[in-house]
Amino acid sequence: MMPVTIKTLTFAALLQVGVFAFATGASAQVGPRGGPGAVMDIDEQPGLTAPDDDVAQLDPQFRHQPVYFRTTEKPGTIVIHTNERFLYLVQGDNRAMRYGIGVGRDGFQWSGLKSIERKAEWPDWTPPSEMIQRQPYLPRFMAGGPGNPMGARALYIGGTVYRIHGTNQPQTIGYAVSSGCFRLVNSEIIDLYSRVPVGTKVVVRQQAAL
Amino acid sequence: MKTILALLAGAALALGATAATAQTLKTVKDRGELVCGVSKGLPGFSAQDASGKWTGFDVDVCKAMAAAIFDDPNKVKYVPLTADERFPALTKGEIDVLSRNSTWTLEREAKLGLLFAAINYYDGQGFLVRDARKVTSALELDKSKVCVQAGTTAESNTKDYFAANGMTLELVTLPTSGELVKAYEDGKCDTLTTDVSQLYALRLTMAKPGDHIVLPDVISKEPLGPVVRQGDDQWFNLVKWTVYAMINAEELGVATNTIDAALKSQKPEVKRLVGNEGNYGEELGVTKDFVVRIVKAVGNYGESFERNVGAASKLGIPRGINQLWSMGGIQYAPPVR
Repeated sequence: MMPVTIKTLTFAALLQVGVFAFATGASAQVGPRGGPGAVMDIDEQPGLTAPDDDVAQLDPQFRHQPVYFRTTEKPGTIVIHTNERFLYLVQGDNRAMRYGIGVGRDGFQWSGLKSIERKAEWPDWTPPSEMIQRQPYLPRFMAGGPGNPMGARALYIGGTVYRIHGTNQPQTIGYAVSSGCFRLVNSEIIDLYSRVPVGTKVVVRQQAAL
Repeated sequence: MKTILALLAGAALALGATAATAQTLKTVKDRGELVCGVSKGLPGFSAQDASGKWTGFDVDVCKAMAAAIFDDPNKVKYVPLTADERFPALTKGEIDVLSRNSTWTLEREAKLGLLFAAINYYDGQGFLVRDARKVTSALELDKSKVCVQAGTTAESNTKDYFAANGMTLELVTLPTSGELVKAYEDGKCDTLTTDVSQLYALRLTMAKPGDHIVLPDVISKEPLGPVVRQGDDQWFNLVKWTVYAMINAEELGVATNTIDAALKSQKPEVKRLVGNEGNYGEELGVTKDFVVRIVKAVGNYGESFERNVGAASKLGIPRGINQLWSMGGIQYAPPVR
């Protein structure tokens, strides 16, 4: 167990500066919060731990809540407005369940119509090769668990390398930090995961370009 | 002299002047400032700070008009008005425009001789509940005790809504909004109902605002917007297109921090909006770049909303139905072309 723990702790230091990304172009940044003192709490059985009350740490507007949402998309569809930092799960009758998200950094933002092709609990993480090239220090594989940047659940968006996934860093919700993925705090992704089956349509919308 | 002219102009209007004689824009330009009627104090919508500075969502309309006319959002004289004073002040010519959370109704236009220029805030009656109840829709409120202010339209709206949806309720009526909040907090009712904007303001006064949520349902129509006198179509158009300029700017991505990029944009609709193509501002009686002036002064519609009443403000009102039509709401402006 010990070698794994050390490796995880080293990686935890990287997590603190939010450099992880899943597909393209994220360059490494070393920030002041990633110092040697940054230790992540890994317990005896990683992967089996329920998240803390991370929703309480969110700005109220980013906690999941029913909202007015007029759309022509069918109930059950996920609509993501990247510039608002909100994900809507359409519920019909002009309403949706709205979740706060973190989105891709400028330049890695994308839009289009896709669908959920796979779901996973406490997913493993295998960074894609183009990412390893840019960030050689990243692990080639990381087993699922609380220290894994994929968080508690992942919804894989078909035909892309992007996911809707968890995070244990509530402070990143509302910001553009990932490389195109959409992140929710762990208890929120667990809630969304339970409502969304494989095959769900995903519409990603961007702010109008000038 | 200017005051006398203004009084004469006001008197002429009160006597029922026609469009040919009403020249509000010229009067405003000659005077050198806009006279804007606002609320005496409504958090987020219009409020005066200790130094006398006015801010708020309704105040931004006054500032945007001054920016369009003078390229200076500060050339505004604010006239704080009560609900009873507001319409007479407008018809008597004491103010050029009224921007004071007023609901657009048939009677106010036809009987009082006014024109609502645009709807810049869709308000309406909603419900506040304890978050712990995990209610997500007003349709789940069957058999609820409902706190409502006595003698308001909210009282009859609530009965109608429950009856129409086959639900029963027990109304608890209270004489003032303060007592309304107290009764709800004391557990004398399951839900509190009034206009949504008001629910968010009342929630701020509660012991633990975070323990309560406003349901997304809006059960009545309270469209709010700036008002002008009848008889001056040019002025009516300018007020209307000031609001629409802000909404169109948001829809096209033109904001305080993108205004320079917008001025270089090659997209035809952006070029028209910022005045690099066509002559739209001059046709309204101001300058080609009036939208640029407005956005630089108060930002686009979304920026003004978030700063004053939205997520960046104490009120924290979600965009909801006031989101753009293309983003899940009903806020819609005709195009600039």
